[in-house]
Amino acid sequence: MTMNRRDFMKVSTGASGSLVLALSLPGCASVQTGFEPETGEWTPDVWLELNKQDEITFTLARVEMGQGTYTGLTTLIAEELDVDPARIQVKFAPVAPEYRNPFIGLQLTGGSTSVASSWQPLREAGASARLMLVMAAARVWGVDANNCRTDNGRVLHPNGVDSLRYGQLVELADKEVIRGDVPLKPRSEWKYIGKQAGKLDARAKATGTAVYGIDVELPGMVYAVMTRSPRYGGRAQSFNRDEILAMAGVQAAFITERGVAVVAGSYWKARKAQQAVRVEWDFSEALDTTVDEVFEGYRKAASEDPGEQERSEGGVDEAISKAGRVVEAEYEQPYLAHAPMEPMNATAWYHDGGMEIWAPTQAPDLGRIAACRNSDLSPDDVTVHTTFLGGGFGRRLTQDYIEEAAAVAYELKVPVKLIWSREEDMRHGFWRPAMLHRMTASLDGADLTGWDHQIVGPQVLDWYVRNAAPAQYPWAPKFLYNTLGKVGLMVEGLATPKDVSAIEGAIGYPYQVPNVSVRHTHTDPGVPITWWRSVGYSHNGFAVETFMDELAHEAGQDPLEFRRKLLAREPRHARVLERAAELAQWGTSLPEGRARGIALFQSFGTYVAQVVEAGIENGEIRVYKVTASVDCGQVVNPRIVEDQISGGILFGLTAALFGEITFNKGEVQQSNFHDYRLLQMHQVPEVVVDIVDSDEAPTGVGEPGVPPVIPALGNALFALTGKRQRRLPLAA
Amino acid sequence: MAFSLTVNGNRHTVDVDSDTPLLWVIRDELGLKGTKFGCGAGLCGACTVHVNGQPARSCSTAIELVDGAEITTIEGLSEGGNLHPLQQAWISEGVPQCGYCQSGQIMTAAHLLANNPSPSRDDIVAAMTGNLCRCGTYARIVAAVESVAGSVGHYQPGQEGA
Ligand code: FES
Ligand code: FES
Repeated sequence: MTMNRRDFMKVSTGASGSLVLALSLPGCASVQTGFEPETGEWTPDVWLELNKQDEITFTLARVEMGQGTYTGLTTLIAEELDVDPARIQVKFAPVAPEYRNPFIGLQLTGGSTSVASSWQPLREAGASARLMLVMAAARVWGVDANNCRTDNGRVLHPNGVDSLRYGQLVELADKEVIRGDVPLKPRSEWKYIGKQAGKLDARAKATGTAVYGIDVELPGMVYAVMTRSPRYGGRAQSFNRDEILAMAGVQAAFITERGVAVVAGSYWKARKAQQAVRVEWDFSEALDTTVDEVFEGYRKAASEDPGEQERSEGGVDEAISKAGRVVEAEYEQPYLAHAPMEPMNATAWYHDGGMEIWAPTQAPDLGRIAACRNSDLSPDDVTVHTTFLGGGFGRRLTQDYIEEAAAVAYELKVPVKLIWSREEDMRHGFWRPAMLHRMTASLDGADLTGWDHQIVGPQVLDWYVRNAAPAQYPWAPKFLYNTLGKVGLMVEGLATPKDVSAIEGAIGYPYQVPNVSVRHTHTDPGVPITWWRSVGYSHNGFAVETFMDELAHEAGQDPLEFRRKLLAREPRHARVLERAAELAQWGTSLPEGRARGIALFQSFGTYVAQVVEAGIENGEIRVYKVTASVDCGQVVNPRIVEDQISGGILFGLTAALFGEITFNKGEVQQSNFHDYRLLQMHQVPEVVVDIVDSDEAPTGVGEPGVPPVIPALGNALFALTGKRQRRLPLAA
Repeated sequence: MAFSLTVNGNRHTVDVDSDTPLLWVIRDELGLKGTKFGCGAGLCGACTVHVNGQPARSCSTAIELVDGAEITTIEGLSEGGNLHPLQQAWISEGVPQCGYCQSGQIMTAAHLLANNPSPSRDDIVAAMTGNLCRCGTYARIVAAVESVAGSVGHYQPGQEGA
């Protein structure tokens, strides 16, 4: 084995002489990487293997949930290796410490980081492998490696006649040592990056052969369903066990930490038996909230506690007290469900002292912890196999469904598949938090002189750290898990990154205003929450960009013009704003009954401006067109960028038009797609996605389409009706 | 109880409760996992199959109602190794994101084209609007259907009298 390419790549010989490159993706300074300089310990993140049969395998440490990771990362390797991406087989990595995501420090896919964090090292890996193959060929031929070229999996002799397949060279190549940096292709020579490449997984998904979590099948497998407390935090005390066990096909029924499990030989038998389950619940610690009380609580907290100062420039209080005009507004956003198309599910098998899990999860590291939570196993005893995900959107970062399947499997010692119904998925979620925003601004004539933004509500990490902390401290004994979670919270910023989930997007307020204050009043009503596609940006985008629109109106200015003049120092913001406005023909007249709204928001490093054209028909909001201009740095696969941005737009529109989860005495009142509606095909607007040509490093695209569309739609409705809506979902 | 049905041209007999949804028979008794469970209530279309040539929500179709029927699932569209033109279009248009809804989308589109080989855009939207896609692939679905509209006259789904 040769250490190569600084310290983040290793070359070795795999089974039957294949060439294996193992690399660890370097993280940003504050987060651990695979290499520990003090100890010299080294763990790779990603494996690239080329064998003698010309088969190329890329083992992927990210999961695929529809955001194009599979295609995007493979394209990066393929480009520098100089092979068609379609020839590379991708495998999902089973969970192991070496598959950690460098920006986050755990193996999870979220935060739009996949392409951003892998951009450089994957290209370097591909380039290194290619260079070693070229050097090996040059040695065979006795020619100068600099004169050899490659073409789709072959090294070409300078004589223009001879060539060798990569497969013929792999056994020789691992002896080659590269000194110095590996040159990467200049942009002008890219064949695959930035081209309209297809999606590598499209065939499997169009023929029904892609294996999702729910499709996992094991010999002797049984089916489990779980009856959970209708109110979060309730615990099952007893149930009509004898009656259930006597039912046809029922194999087991028992109480778990999560509720009452019923197991049968088929899913339907388990479901039918579940209907007869009668549980005595202990509700002493259960959620008792009604949604109106949440907002009452927020208002009270907002008035009593000015909140943590998260950003401060100039003197906002003074600016406001001296201002010619003060504008105030309060915005409310509801709880939202993720509702991915594949309901939560997991398959677990406890055998030979270890637990195997198959699951559609965004965070297999955490899945290991969840799987051993209710047993004497430790995370090292758990293997998690990830599958395709039928959508994630943040929901599958929380591993409750794995915990359940594992708890049942631990009892039964046969393979168990546990599937949630859609109703269970809707009612036992972890939500995008409901939030309240209080905004105050001062205007001097048409000039915005002060901006005060008070964000009121919970933050996600409080709910997450209990689950995540043990994975960050893999050496910690299990009895410390709960303590670790608490410690993680106490030393926020040190043991865990600062939680910006409530304030992100608000602290990045881009407009040039002399006096700016952003505050967070932290209050948590106890409703379970988690990350939801675009997280804090999703609610801050609505508050900031709606308020900007209100201020433009108060200042008697066009909303585009009002923003533009405050962006002199923000060229990337300004550029997408101009382009979206121009493409949407901002300012030109529209047919009767239609109006436009505009919004601009940066999230996950990506700049997005959107213009929405909307109207009201037969008492329903109609969205006719959305024009988006996007700056996400270098583009790996434009089609995927387009899909992710337009998918984000529809996700945001769904929230703006329909999205609302409500609670009554702790119980969720929605249950399925009839009362938690998703946008349907006949409601879909024309979507235009304009991608800015850029040389900057690539940034995420899975989420940034979501935030601007919500205020842009609200602003269009205001332009149409003159009535400002300050709570979501919007009403016709 | 025993029921018999022909799925993708193959006859099967299954012994299940008479109220078992066709979806779970197809998936778990016959092992054809391409048909998906999304809502269990006829609201999303992920479970769409053809029953005697008509699109049906298999999650809400009890097995006793389809005893003896001819069923086509996503696996049956591409029998003999040849992809259905719609599947080909799905690949070249790069329609799927997470992909979970797409079997149902394709089955709905296949029925539309079998009956109306040259649908207008409005026809397509009207036929497809009950199939939800949380990832928002609708525009690419329309484009994919349009790309084969008019060219699938030769196609007859296996064993169907559509
Ligand atoms: S699963 Fe059958 S319509 Fe949704
Ligand atoms: S592609 Fe994900 S639900 Fe349609």
